[in-house]
Amino acid sequence: MKNFELVEPATIDEAVALLDPDDAGVRAIAGGTALMLMMKARLFEPVRLVSLRRVNGALRGVRENAGGGLTVGAMTTLTELERSPKIAAALPVMSRALHTLSNVRIRNVATLGGHLAHGDPHMDLPPILLTLGARVRAVSRRGERWIDIADLFVGYYQVAVARDELITEIDVPAQPAGVHTWYAKFAALSADDWPSVGVAVWYRTDGERIAEARVAVSAATEMPLRLAGAERALVGNAPTPQTFAAAADVAAEAIEPVADIRGTAAYKREMVRVHTRRALAQALHTGRAAR
Amino acid sequence: MTDATRTIRFTLNGRAVTARIAVYETLVEVLQREFALLGARESCAQGLCGCCTVLVDGTAVSGCLYLAAFADGAELVTVEGLPKDGVLHPVQQAFVDKGAFQCGFCTPGMVLMTKELLEQHPHPTEDQIRHYLSGNLCRCASYPEIVQAVKLAADKVHI
Repeated sequence: MKNFELVEPATIDEAVALLDPDDAGVRAIAGGTALMLMMKARLFEPVRLVSLRRVNGALRGVRENAGGGLTVGAMTTLTELERSPKIAAALPVMSRALHTLSNVRIRNVATLGGHLAHGDPHMDLPPILLTLGARVRAVSRRGERWIDIADLFVGYYQVAVARDELITEIDVPAQPAGVHTWYAKFAALSADDWPSVGVAVWYRTDGERIAEARVAVSAATEMPLRLAGAERALVGNAPTPQTFAAAADVAAEAIEPVADIRGTAAYKREMVRVHTRRALAQALHTGRAAR
Repeated sequence: MTDATRTIRFTLNGRAVTARIAVYETLVEVLQREFALLGARESCAQGLCGCCTVLVDGTAVSGCLYLAAFADGAELVTVEGLPKDGVLHPVQQAFVDKGAFQCGFCTPGMVLMTKELLEQHPHPTEDQIRHYLSGNLCRCASYPEIVQAVKLAADKVHI
């Protein structure tokens, strides 16, 4: 790797002051697991890295927020999330996904903020957070703003966080009692590999019918995204295998799959069909216990 | 360009040390060059194989994806730090007893991950063992013996 400047500010204010809106070579670094891969491959040659490890304390941990949901500090490691009793109780779909997200060493170091800021379409939590309706707080010298997770991902490795902005925390709202959730991860190669296809589903039933539904896909597409057509195919119908199969067909036809070493476009389309159907069926067995 | 090199201070296998490093160097590079510790070694260079495992403040990390600069102020343990007074750590001894390797290249990483596994799950099931070590690759495919060694270590180690 080439030389660069490494700065380690102690506060969020100092950190954002060291970012540069005009220089793509200046970036924040948290755990660094993803950024280091890019640096070693010379896909990214930094001019300056702003390490957040000394800011850590202010940005770490899972707490209940005023709305009854959870707020997660951006520097919280994926291992801390995986082991968090609060996450396990309120958002079991996230805990489950974290068990198979990369491997233990990466989870020990990688952070939720970095996981989102990287914009890699293969990450596991973005489709889940899309269905949970999360939002992200971004801070800069210009102030702060909340970015709806649906607006965060804007392209292949592209997020709506500006170069001089820092993700400081992630809000996940309280989920309705009895909501059904599941994340289906299909890894075509080894078990801890990036997924070939990820599908997150979320739906709420009212009596015999699905009243509200969210379906998000990742890895197969250039960025994680909600599939409105599949969601419409669910709402108003009974949660039956027929309904799930029909929605899965809509999901498969709606996407523009990206071919890579984990599958051709045609293969990924079929895998999205299969795993959307399976995720919807699996989700039915969750959410019986109201939070 | 500022800041080409810097001095970091940390505890390495129980000993306070300093090292002069370049900011772009990884932990495994510095351990090899400055301290001639070869137990953590780079193999896949992508954090997938576990050969470069180092414990940083008691937590396993991939030394090939970890900036050495981030070790400043930390407590590091490599496989070389496990034996006490010339006696192998119980996890190491369990790997010997079960012959849980052929070439041995992956063994330091396997041993350190097993140490962390047993701290998290003192009595792991076979599923937990295989799941926890899924990020450690053994190209000789000694996996059955490795699982046996972890079980033996769990019986011996009382953390």
